Amino acid sequence: MKATYELFGRLLTAGVTLSAACLAVGLAVAFAGRTRDVTPPAARLLLDAGLIVLMATPLLRVLVSLSEEVRNRNWFFAGITFIVVVVLAATLWTAL
Amino acid sequence: MRIIASPAVVLIVMAAGAGAGSLGALLGIGGGVFLVPFLNLVIGLPFLSAAGISLMTVIATSSAVSAYSSGRQLINLRLGMVLEVATVLGAFVGSLAVGVLSDRQLHLLFAAVMAGIALIMMTRLDRRNVILDPTVDPGTLGGRFYEQESGGEVSYRVRRLPLGLGVSFAAGVLSILLGIGGGTLKVPALNAWCGVPMRAAAATSAFMIGVTALAGAIKYYVRGDIRPELAAAAVLGVLAGSRAGFWIGARARAKGLKALMAAVLGGVAVIYFFK
Repeated sequence: MKATYELFGRLLTAGVTLSAACLAVGLAVAFAGRTRDVTPPAARLLLDAGLIVLMATPLLRVLVSLSEEVRNRNWFFAGITFIVVVVLAATLWTAL
Repeated sequence: MRIIASPAVVLIVMAAGAGAGSLGALLGIGGGVFLVPFLNLVIGLPFLSAAGISLMTVIATSSAVSAYSSGRQLINLRLGMVLEVATVLGAFVGSLAVGVLSDRQLHLLFAAVMAGIALIMMTRLDRRNVILDPTVDPGTLGGRFYEQESGGEVSYRVRRLPLGLGVSFAAGVLSILLGIGGGTLKVPALNAWCGVPMRAAAATSAFMIGVTALAGAIKYYVRGDIRPELAAAAVLGVLAGSRAGFWIGARARAKGLKALMAAVLGGVAVIYFFK
């Protein structure tokens, strides 16, 4: 269990750090390079990348949870985590 | 690609995010309850846009707080996984209702929830719920953690799970529709009704809300409700603010502030009721 906590800690820290870096650089590029209220494409790309990495972080955490439960043969918890993945996939499908 | 937000507006949103994040961390309720009305009433964003941006900050706060809490093993992973099913199902139902409810209905719902949160803030019981003997079997969903007050490891057992699942489902629906984390409902319920100590309840709730908010954030992002530059500013502000809030919280008592903020939320509820 301790290894799982550490894995989650590293994963979440990496996700938040990468996302925050993309968002901060994106904002800087947006305002440094903007002319007449037009956002440079690079800024828009960085801002979107930051938001997508942010959203992907908890999703990745759930997928890591699922693989950990399967690896440890905890079928009950693997099953309920699988339900969470299915509901998130359904949410994405209905949103698109 | 045009943006309407000027650097000044982006800076104001960043500062508001920092304020909401620090207050949220200090009071243990997340920053969404402050950020949504600010973005909607002060900046003038549509309610759905404010809710979408707020959900992005909820994901950021959840990931940052959980990364910190993981090291201290306060998160109850097993309980979190079980409740996550209910809260994500609630979030799915909530995401189907996004864009269906009218502004008036959303404002009334927001007013009712704000009034409820103000009441919960004033009456929160903060039950200890710990068994001092660490050798006691906490059961499948219970847990153990190091408690500073007793200077050693303590255990707790989870009771009335169906109640916790019901509250988690409701929190999931409201979280997506209103752009708030939902911890305000889950944490007191887990503490008062399900036997979970406050710190473990807060850490476990923070762990779950990122996944709950994700379901709504995807919907708002795909619909185009989220303005990237404002979301970026709010996320960066909230991340900095929640760190500051934890730092202040470890050094000061928040009782007076809690009463003041409950009054502010009550005022926001009145504004939305008559809006």
